[in-house]
Amino acid sequence: MLSRVADSLYWMSRYMERTDGILRMLRINYASSQDDLQNFSWKPVLSIFTYLDKERAIAISHQSRAVLQYMVTDKDNRNSVLNIVTLARENARSVQDHITKELWQCLNDFYHTIRDEQVVRGLYADDPISTLDVLVRQGLLYYGITDITMARGEGYAFLNIGKFIERGVQSADILDVRFSDLQLDLVRTDPSYWKYLLLSISGFEYYLKTYRSGFDARNVVEQIVLSANFPRSILYSISRLQLHFQRLKGDGNREAFQRIDFMIGKIYSKVRYSTVDSILQQGLHAYLISIKEDLYEVGIALNQYYFAYS
Amino acid sequence: MQTSELLNNYDVDPRTWDEMYSLSAVRQQYAGVVGFLQQMSIEELNRKEELAKRLFMSQGITFTVYSSGEGIEKIFPFDIIPRIITAGEWTYIEEGIRQRLNALNLFLKDVYNSQFILKDGIVPYEMVYSCPHFLREMHGFPVPYDIYVHIAGIDLIRDSDGTFYILEDNLRTPSGVSYMLENREITKRIFPDLIPRNNVRTVTEYPAILHRNLASLSPRQTSQPTIVLLTPGIYNSAYFEHTTLARLMGVELVEGRDLVIDNHRVYMKTTAGRQQVDVIYRRVDDHFLDPLVFQPDSMLGVAGIMSAYRKGNVAIVNAVGNGVADDKAIYAYVPAMIRYYLNEEPILKNVPTYQLGNPEERQYVFSNMNQMVVKRTNESGGYGMLMGNSAGDEEIQRYQQEILKDPRQFIAQPIISLSSAPCYLNGRLAPRRVDLRPYALCGPEGIQIVPGGLTRVALREGSLVVNSSQGGGSKDTWVLSN
Repeated sequence: MLSRVADSLYWMSRYMERTDGILRMLRINYASSQDDLQNFSWKPVLSIFTYLDKERAIAISHQSRAVLQYMVTDKDNRNSVLNIVTLARENARSVQDHITKELWQCLNDFYHTIRDEQVVRGLYADDPISTLDVLVRQGLLYYGITDITMARGEGYAFLNIGKFIERGVQSADILDVRFSDLQLDLVRTDPSYWKYLLLSISGFEYYLKTYRSGFDARNVVEQIVLSANFPRSILYSISRLQLHFQRLKGDGNREAFQRIDFMIGKIYSKVRYSTVDSILQQGLHAYLISIKEDLYEVGIALNQYYFAYS
Repeated sequence: MQTSELLNNYDVDPRTWDEMYSLSAVRQQYAGVVGFLQQMSIEELNRKEELAKRLFMSQGITFTVYSSGEGIEKIFPFDIIPRIITAGEWTYIEEGIRQRLNALNLFLKDVYNSQFILKDGIVPYEMVYSCPHFLREMHGFPVPYDIYVHIAGIDLIRDSDGTFYILEDNLRTPSGVSYMLENREITKRIFPDLIPRNNVRTVTEYPAILHRNLASLSPRQTSQPTIVLLTPGIYNSAYFEHTTLARLMGVELVEGRDLVIDNHRVYMKTTAGRQQVDVIYRRVDDHFLDPLVFQPDSMLGVAGIMSAYRKGNVAIVNAVGNGVADDKAIYAYVPAMIRYYLNEEPILKNVPTYQLGNPEERQYVFSNMNQMVVKRTNESGGYGMLMGNSAGDEEIQRYQQEILKDPRQFIAQPIISLSSAPCYLNGRLAPRRVDLRPYALCGPEGIQIVPGGLTRVALREGSLVVNSSQGGGSKDTWVLSN
């Protein structure tokens, strides 16, 4: 496979995973802002998913509509859903001969949907949840079509590598920001705080079924970092990353494979053999930062050994 | 009834050949389609038109216009009524194109090797040597199987009596074939069952034939040669076509930056290291192909590719330097080439062409400007041309000044009226002018022409210019079997 093609598939996939993350986060936070919480603040969401400086973030942090507009359709926000879907589509466009026609059409439709005034009107004037639902569903179509139509070859491996690196980083980010927001005041926090955090990463039901003693920050950490079954946990993301990377084994480039395989294995062990206690002892923030850095290292190595074409 | 209205308002210009109507009766080849349309209401037809637009949009059969930093997606206008060619007409066209391509291939071989045709005075030396597309780099280099033109898109038009004329030979990187394929797919969707019922020949073999031809050119003796399609990239207006062809043939779509030359061999940069490339179907123009040989600032090409080509380590399709044969001034000599190389009379006629480099012909053209179309020899796409019947005096004068600066760069032709075909516009059928571009593929086993082609249509009323850059659209093109 061409290096440029691998690069584009990897980034297309990262952008789509990020799109899904942002949309879910917005959907739940908007719902939460409609609950009877006083002075709901968008600050944590803004700090996870945008590059706004502190002042500007604070300025709009209590205006749901402004935040939605900025994060979904603002052309000047590099990380707005509009811009990253456009980037995903541009990447897809340049590798149309490597993805299925259905997958290309799906991304192309997503792009036209988010540029459709009628669709995004709800963000400003009507019920934003309806709009966000339409967009989330477009993302789900992408996942479904990828799963059903893409051949299980090298391209599929790069798609998944991108997806799970992005997901691991995202989960680490979300957890990090949510906890620093509390200044680790783990005990006296309102249960609905945890509820909305878990809902925003589709982990609420899983939590209820797994931990029956009400909300405890330690359990939340365990679920988001260490659970092997929760699909957005860091451990799960890394184990999938490892699995899909293994599929590149036979495709030449042996030295590069061994090097990156070693890096991923190391991160996996680091997370697999952590406990909530060891994490908190080390400091949650420091721990999450180190995981993120390790994942970025993998991204850099992929770029160097597999994607370099210029 | 609504649909009789649809036809009653169909006003054919009596001085043009209409593809559907003759002497106020529907031609036999259109009877099936007209009967079908008569069962439909205006609302239904409007819905079909809407559906066609939506299908183009959602499949990304679009080109992007960039303005104020933002891309706007546009579709090439598509008219839902097919253009129909009878079996008899097609046989004639096919033979004519085959003959012409044979002669043009021989001409290219000759002009880049022994130059008999120049020595015998059939084509003047200065015509060839003054052509910017005549590339000395190709001199004396034997291309595989002596084939220069692997893919040709030859433009045909019809005069008022229905005679076909060749308007242009596109022998470099002719585009539009994806529209031949996609327009057919759209027709299948919007008019279910209509195609099988009318005995329309299929066009879907095109990618398979092209792929077979490309594979046969591989310089390496291998059962699985690496074939790539070289595109200028996603900002090219024909990018959709490049991806479609790459996908339909199952070959790699590459950009110049994906390729690297080492020891006169071409490699592509892959995740598993370098992989040698055997055949390149390039959609990059000659002058951008190799910055070491041609335009030094080209970012689209590959440095050193010409040396690999000349060493015979890679096949390039179409051959480099073909522009000398489809130059608008050389065009006038193609009938002479056919007589010279094949000893045959040309089957398809040329439009009479005046060389403005020749003072007598220039004088004649200048005194009959309002019946002439003047074109620049090195421009295409309908740019830089003057339609004498619609231009103002001042415009004509300004253009004449331009001509006098460098007369070799211009030719003139009498305005041919172009046949008209029915288009569905604003709820009724209206005649609009059309041309026809069939695609011919030339491989070691001979020339094959897929029965069909691209019909371009001038959607503006009265317009004779069908180029997409000048408000033209396209139609599905049917060739009937018997």
